[in-house]
Amino acid sequence: MDKFAALEPTRLYSSSASATNKRASRAQPISRWIGKLPADIHLLVLNHLPIPDIPAYARASRATAGLSRDEKVWERRWNDLSITRHALDDTLDDLESKQKPKASPCSPPTISVDDDFGDFTSAPRMPSVPSLSAAFTSFAFTDASPGKQTFRTRYTRAHSILNKCLAPLKQPPHAVLSALTPLIGVSLLSQARSLRLLGFFLSPRVQPVRNWDILLAALKAAIDRFDVSLLTAFDAADSRGDEVMMREAARASWEVWPGIGDWEMGKVWAEKREILYEQGRWNPLANFTEENTLDFTPMDEFMASIIRALEEHGTRAVFVFPPAAGVLIGFAERVANEVVGEYIAPLLTRAREISNALYLTAVAASFRESWRIVDVLTTLSSNFSHKDKDKAEDVVFMMFEPNMDEYLDEEIESLKQAFEVICKEWARSTLALASHGLPTQAQQTRFLTAQNPALMKRTVLASFTDVLLLPVTIVPRTVGAGVVAVGGAVGGAVGAVGTGMVQGIAMLNPQRWVGGTGSVNNAKEYTSFGLRNAEGEAAIFEIGADEEGGNDSVDESSMAQSSTRDTVSIDSTNTAATSFTPSTFDTSQTNVASSTSAIKATLAPTGNLDLLLSLDVALQLIHADRDALKRLEIFASYPGHYGIRVRETIEEAFCEMLGVLCNRHLEKGFGIATERMNSYKPAEHEETASVAPLLQFFELVHIGDTIQSMVQVFFDKELAPYIDKTDFLNVVVREKKRFENTLDDCVAAGLNAGTQVLMNQVEHIILTLTKPREYYPPEDAPLELGPTQGCTEAIRCLDTHCKLLKGSTSKEVLEVFYQEVGIRLLAILQKHIKRQIISLNGGFQVIADLNAYYSFIASLKVPNITADFSHLKMLGHVFVVEDAKDLAQIVRDVTRYGGAYRPEDIYEFIQRRADWKKIEKTVDKTMYNLSFKEDCIVC
Amino acid sequence: MVHLVTSDNVEFVVDKEVVERSVLIKNMLEDVGETDQSIPLANVSSAVLRKVIEYCEHHRGEPLPSADADQNQDETRKRTTDISEWDQKFITVDQEMLFEIILAANYLDIKSLLDVGCKTVANMIKGKTPDEIRRLFNIVNDFTPEEEAQIKKENEWAEDR
Repeated sequence: MDKFAALEPTRLYSSSASATNKRASRAQPISRWIGKLPADIHLLVLNHLPIPDIPAYARASRATAGLSRDEKVWERRWNDLSITRHALDDTLDDLESKQKPKASPCSPPTISVDDDFGDFTSAPRMPSVPSLSAAFTSFAFTDASPGKQTFRTRYTRAHSILNKCLAPLKQPPHAVLSALTPLIGVSLLSQARSLRLLGFFLSPRVQPVRNWDILLAALKAAIDRFDVSLLTAFDAADSRGDEVMMREAARASWEVWPGIGDWEMGKVWAEKREILYEQGRWNPLANFTEENTLDFTPMDEFMASIIRALEEHGTRAVFVFPPAAGVLIGFAERVANEVVGEYIAPLLTRAREISNALYLTAVAASFRESWRIVDVLTTLSSNFSHKDKDKAEDVVFMMFEPNMDEYLDEEIESLKQAFEVICKEWARSTLALASHGLPTQAQQTRFLTAQNPALMKRTVLASFTDVLLLPVTIVPRTVGAGVVAVGGAVGGAVGAVGTGMVQGIAMLNPQRWVGGTGSVNNAKEYTSFGLRNAEGEAAIFEIGADEEGGNDSVDESSMAQSSTRDTVSIDSTNTAATSFTPSTFDTSQTNVASSTSAIKATLAPTGNLDLLLSLDVALQLIHADRDALKRLEIFASYPGHYGIRVRETIEEAFCEMLGVLCNRHLEKGFGIATERMNSYKPAEHEETASVAPLLQFFELVHIGDTIQSMVQVFFDKELAPYIDKTDFLNVVVREKKRFENTLDDCVAAGLNAGTQVLMNQVEHIILTLTKPREYYPPEDAPLELGPTQGCTEAIRCLDTHCKLLKGSTSKEVLEVFYQEVGIRLLAILQKHIKRQIISLNGGFQVIADLNAYYSFIASLKVPNITADFSHLKMLGHVFVVEDAKDLAQIVRDVTRYGGAYRPEDIYEFIQRRADWKKIEKTVDKTMYNLSFKEDCIVC
Repeated sequence: MVHLVTSDNVEFVVDKEVVERSVLIKNMLEDVGETDQSIPLANVSSAVLRKVIEYCEHHRGEPLPSADADQNQDETRKRTTDISEWDQKFITVDQEMLFEIILAANYLDIKSLLDVGCKTVANMIKGKTPDEIRRLFNIVNDFTPEEEAQIKKENEWAEDR
């Protein structure tokens, strides 16, 4: 109980309920009771009291008289007249001036009354309520001095003016208006405003007279009659084309409109526009050509006529109607819904019947066309505020909304289907390639053949970016119309995206370049020119790589055109490539200098090097996705619920593309490549310095890398505007990350298998090429201190493969790969040496080989394996030491080998010496100070 | 549930949601939090509180008027609309009770109830002579005849003749 006691007198929560508390604190209820209620409640009651009752109330006592003058009360009444809010002050002044000549003598001397009262209250004979009267005196004075400023005087003036206009309302309905006319003037606008003012005056909020409700009804009837006459006048003016008269009638009608429901005049006007009833003139189905493709030229015409009508009527609407009435927007809404919407509906239905792809295009195209309405509306009334522009956009958005659900679902659905088709097609073609496996299908390894894969990749990416920048055709037109549209684009119309994006992207498909550009189009020619430039560079570059240049240059460049984008495209039997193959073969036969061409040479015969990853497929996927994205992009500005859905769909489309690219293409391709490498048996193949599957895998790594770059570019260019790139929780960013990770994993797994294969191959080479007495030459054989053939071949094999990876993967991956190669090579060599019998002379051979291996490893620049190999190099020395005792010393000297080999390890190596039997005892003795032969009890 | 104790020591147990139509109690509860202690309402008698709670029960769940409702356009509009049928029936009480309810509503800060009460009082004043108004409010006429004439003249413009 105590807890709350303090709350009573002072309200703790004055901040939270300011208004009510203001009243409470102002009232100080205890001290200012008037009769049975506190003064502040009296004020509240006064607010509800009709004006005619106030005099009686004021006469009840001094306190009530004081209250009846309270500004709070009169401020409310004044505000209820809405004169300030609706800027009707002038009208009031007008009315007053009209009354002046016959001003009635009983006009209230309001101001003087105030003064009188001031005298009266300040008189000293009022001891009963001293605090109140004193407070009121000062109050009355301060308010009276600025004269008309007090709300009470202002209301009083308005009341007396308006009260005089009430008399005509008591007449029979048909006479009211004519009786009012002398009081309210003749101009339509001033009549309208006066009627409106009277409407506010007679409102239940003010209750100026006893029978206000009856008068209000009469006034409403009069206003209705007035409005009807305005409507008639407006129609007449409309048929005459008299815009000024229309404007006057419209403004007047707008003034008397009570603000509830539809504004009749605007509605009626819009209804009479012929454009709303001309649907029959247009045939939506004309947009389909005979081959069931889309050609939106008829829709163009249709929209043009709609736009013309909108412009014509819109200009008039802007002039005639008050901007607040929103007649223009209302009219545009009707045009959009009843004409454009009706036009689009059958169009889409038909498109849907034909095919889904067509449907999608039609949706995007028709939306784009409809969007022109917004532009017209914006240009029509130049003083459009931001909000009005939103309204204009809403017109089209709302008109199109019914189509959105279906469209968005369909977009994703057909995107999935398209991906499915591409993947299936690809799978089929690879299968075909695998089963045929003929030399005619030989594919060139684009990246590997180029001397500088990085530059090559840059070129590819540059042209890819170019293609991404190609304008997109949303509205399909015939070529001629397209050109017209391009020309008209300067005029600011929307759909001026003349070029065929489809063709544009398709240009990425190499075969089409050779064929030349099909249709005439400026923009397109420009881009294709750009592409050719890029290709030209690539071609020059490839020729440079080839020593023979001259003869081949023709072949080369034609090849380059068709091949820089890898040509494993579905139906490609690339004649250029096949014709090219033998020529390079020759080149490389005569010219061993460039190892890359050697690879080409050796590759060509292997024949079954079908690539498992295709830039082309990636391109097709990206292209399909881009199609969808571009369509979706048009709807990107959609507000509200559909806006969210559109953005979601955009994200989903991208994710879907990544998913397919990743799971269906990359993983699969790399999987097969890895599998092939695993099943690769060096012995089954002819002796060669190259491992086909590994080579193929390296090519895949390059392609994968390029695809990733392409995805990155695509992401940056197309998707970045819609998502927050830094938001790591965003589904797109996450999906992209996952894609990159998968690619990395694939490469890593492949590399792992690849290393295995490579080392198997190296071991195979060493085994097969090392002759039985390689390191134990006959005494009389001439000493050739070069590395053996097995060694050179092995190193060559390693070298070529190691170099191949450069530039396609990160440095770290490369380093790991090299290290793995080094470690395994070490093991192979140790095993190999332990298999040999080595004479003193042969020892030099061993050293020569080890030196060669060392210098190869050193060229890889991986410190720890270089160290290992330098130790191995040292090990070679044990084969050339003649004296057994010295040998033993060397063996025991652990520091010589940097701790890499223990004496026991080296002991194993020296057992391979040809003279081991002879020196064994001495060595043992020196090393262990004992001889097994002598000390061993068992022996 | 909230416990309320009236001036004549009667305890009422009311739903929190119902009693929170009173801004005074709402703020109090927000400040004090959940409590089993009863809240003393020294200015309200049990008879009046019963009526007030009846009103609050009936209007339970309706949105409370915002703090700055005075400035609000809609609020002004609502102010002058008629009293709803239920409220009309509810407020048909003897004059003493009406004033008590108004005072309680004012004290407890229940704006809608206060409005209903004030409108009813305004309706009672309608058409009455000054003398009748004095009797209604129990006011003593403290004017001299000259003063009264002065006031009458001052407000002449508002008379509806």
